[in-house]
Amino acid sequence: MKIAFTTKGKTWDSPMDPRFGRTEYFLIYDEEKEELTHYDNRDSANEAHGAGPKTAQKLFEFNPDILITGNGPGGNAAAVLEKTGIKILVGAGDMTVKEAYNAYKKGEL
Amino acid sequence: MKEIVIISGKGGTGKTSLTASFAMLGGKDVIVADCDVDAADMHLLLEPDFQDSEDFYSGELAYIKQDQCIKCGKCADVCRFDAIPIINTRYIVDPLSCEGCGYCARVCPTNAIINKSLNVGKWYISNIKTGSTMVHAKLGIGADNSGKLVAKVKSEAKNIAEEEQKDFVIVDGSPGVGCPVVSSLSGASFVVLVTEPSVSGLHDLKRVYELVNKFNIKAGCIINKSDINQKVTVEIENFLEKENIVHLASLPYNEDFTKAMTIGQTIVEYSNGSLKQLITDSWNNILNIVNIKK
Repeated sequence: MKIAFTTKGKTWDSPMDPRFGRTEYFLIYDEEKEELTHYDNRDSANEAHGAGPKTAQKLFEFNPDILITGNGPGGNAAAVLEKTGIKILVGAGDMTVKEAYNAYKKGEL
Repeated sequence: MKEIVIISGKGGTGKTSLTASFAMLGGKDVIVADCDVDAADMHLLLEPDFQDSEDFYSGELAYIKQDQCIKCGKCADVCRFDAIPIINTRYIVDPLSCEGCGYCARVCPTNAIINKSLNVGKWYISNIKTGSTMVHAKLGIGADNSGKLVAKVKSEAKNIAEEEQKDFVIVDGSPGVGCPVVSSLSGASFVVLVTEPSVSGLHDLKRVYELVNKFNIKAGCIINKSDINQKVTVEIENFLEKENIVHLASLPYNEDFTKAMTIGQTIVEYSNGSLKQLITDSWNNILNIVNIKK
């Protein structure tokens, strides 16, 4: 499984970013390779309009199976993500990345 | 720290009057973020001192370097917005018409055109009469609110709340369902929907709730002027029940809303009667729902 997180930093201890479109970073965790990579999304966060769909497109390039975020993408971003088939899990806005991953593993999201 | 966003969909429902009242009731515990930047008016009620200000840039604007311009007119030909008129034999960009698309710069044979960042207004951090802080913004003429500006105002408010260990940020959300509203809602802990029993009040409530629902945010609703149309009030109540939205309060039509506003006061300062009590109850209700003891 490849899992994407919306975050405010680049490590397991970074806080999650509850926002999707204007999240500062993505972290992508590849469970098979046990590898954590990050993507700096601050360019999209600086768009005046349309940050959501732009971020959704970027995320799609990483081809994750699951997205873990705070409270779920808005209208346009949600429409893009629906087409990609990425499973969206919400409710991790107040956690760190590590806590969010553990919560996902326990099926709490 | 909890973020409470107040939105209405339709204008004129009393959203800002209620937000300002909640800010008053919350006092020092509440940082206020005015994200209704197109028609910002919370400053009229909360007396900000504009202590810190910073320029805000959003979008781009074409700029023609006159010393490199050979006056071929190709830029004016391709501009879809007719934004490059000739003034005294010079091609000049009209800042109100230019959308910053960059087509002119692309066709210019001498590379005389560049895009510059557009200064669209200022944002402020102010001390307000509640004893707390407000983050707000003011746009220049012809500039429009954007998700980016809302995100900026909200993140500054959240930073202050975290630094000063405040319990709440309350956000006066933008109208409609567009980009600024999406940005207002993103990251919220609880949403308060303010509506009125008119056909468009109910219609816009449904429309904006559709968005709230996508974000999976818990919502409550205040029906303002609830006694002006019993039939629609019942329809709204049915909608709230069906969608599992907390019915926070029904406020009867009351001219104190307007009277308080015209002397620059919030309703809870102006009125001592049942209206103040209803608004205070609503605020306590909201606090209970977001799980923080007062």
